[in-house]
Amino acid sequence: MAGIEVAIVGWAQTPAVRRSVRSEPQLCFDAIQGAIEDAGIDRREIGFTCSGSCDYLTGGPFAFVSNLEAAGAWPPISESHVEMDGAWALYEAWVRLQHGDIDSALVFGSGKSSATSPAELYPQQLDPYYLAPIGLDPVSMAALQARAVLDAGRATERDLAEVAVRSHQNAMNNPNAQLRGELDVEKLLAEDYVCAPLRRHDLPPISDGAAALVLATESKARQLSQHPAFIRGIDHRVEPHQLGMRDLTRSSSTTLAARQAGLGSGKPDVAELSATFSPQELILRDALGLGDDTVVNPSGGPLAANPVMATGLIRIIEAARALTEGNGRHRTALAHATGGQCLQHNLVCLLEVQ
Amino acid sequence: MTDLAEPVIVMEHLVSLTYDEDLPANLVRFGEALIDGRIVGQRCPVCHRVYVPGRGYCPLDVIPLDVEHEVEVADRGVVTGFTIVAPVRYYGQTKTEPFIYASVLLDGASGTLGGQDISGIPPDQVRMGMRVAAVWKPVEERSMEGLSARGWGSVAGAVTSFTPTGEPDVAREHYQEHII
Repeated sequence: MAGIEVAIVGWAQTPAVRRSVRSEPQLCFDAIQGAIEDAGIDRREIGFTCSGSCDYLTGGPFAFVSNLEAAGAWPPISESHVEMDGAWALYEAWVRLQHGDIDSALVFGSGKSSATSPAELYPQQLDPYYLAPIGLDPVSMAALQARAVLDAGRATERDLAEVAVRSHQNAMNNPNAQLRGELDVEKLLAEDYVCAPLRRHDLPPISDGAAALVLATESKARQLSQHPAFIRGIDHRVEPHQLGMRDLTRSSSTTLAARQAGLGSGKPDVAELSATFSPQELILRDALGLGDDTVVNPSGGPLAANPVMATGLIRIIEAARALTEGNGRHRTALAHATGGQCLQHNLVCLLEVQ
Repeated sequence: MTDLAEPVIVMEHLVSLTYDEDLPANLVRFGEALIDGRIVGQRCPVCHRVYVPGRGYCPLDVIPLDVEHEVEVADRGVVTGFTIVAPVRYYGQTKTEPFIYASVLLDGASGTLGGQDISGIPPDQVRMGMRVAAVWKPVEERSMEGLSARGWGSVAGAVTSFTPTGEPDVAREHYQEHII
């Protein structure tokens, strides 16, 4: 991708927990200060700050303003906010760095899902005429998607359970994961449905958490880091809001975003996917053409930790971590973030270490 | 399809969301002190600003603040600004008579408490620079009501309003940096 090269040079995240007594700004504080320390940069040198969070989730108008306190806004800073996952804040920061007049940016995302009920809250993101009034909740929508995948013969309930088993197993190496451990497919399949055809293991946990990272342009990145993870391409695409207007068993916007980001026939060594429900991992693997050579969600993915509004940004952090802490085993990684319902909006970010 | 006699042009869609959260430790201590009749803030050891209530960090120096940084401030101060609200009827409005929405800079604090009622004086006599003191609820009625991890805190669980002390007004230069 032509333009100014940008790399990830430091990051931090709070451990995902079911219910944190830290306020959201306090969670942001921990993540941001950790990322700045990890990057080894003076916060006053940072040229741009961008955050992603959701006021509905926090439960207060302009709640993101108090989150900003955690970044330190004195002397005055240049900043922006997206009412989206922090991965889109990273996208905005990457675009900002393309202007060429600054050499670093801070990105963070945060959310406390514990304060409210997803079934009560999430219908409010739907269209107010047909979907919100019937209270269509995220688990029901994911179940519709799962049913479509099963009916199309593209997966079995066992395939879904195997996604969960692998996610929880991978999470055993992730200190920030909320759920981890050895699961047994037969036992999982013997459990009752939460919302058919989805069982408990097909659902993400409800999580509180925050994540932050520092971006730098090439020469600054090489000053700051021994192993900067370069962003080789980034793009995002969106599909219709109405579930009935698209094929829920496919993710054409993911395919398009990946192509625009520069994913060719060579596949990444690692992929961190925002597969919030187990069928979505299979849909995304197909959409990205990932085979067995790609390690998928070595962190455990969203089935192991799902701090909404940080989940996608954490995929980018975990992809970068797999590259820089993998002892050279991995050279390229793909991170995917999603927004909306049933993979409506998708972002693909390609990373590389040299 | 149902043949409607009249097209639907308005539909009612009332939204109610419930939030339930634990207070962070700094606000628990703030609330406990309020019930005890004390207003506690956190003093930053770098800039020496006192935040009421404390946030658990200094937003200017970006350092964590904890129990060792907590200091008591006075329950009295100066009105730095106010609005006389003439309530109009809307869903959820419980007030019927004009009331005051004032910012109060407590002695010892570095920022104002917003949205405070001023009692014991007709609204049209409230003025900037006026010295006021907290009107505390009876001990048995005090609670942590209104305290929340979002926003910038509240004393409403223990203080009903502020009332004039009768002291001379404070000159504008002493509070002008707090006028919004």
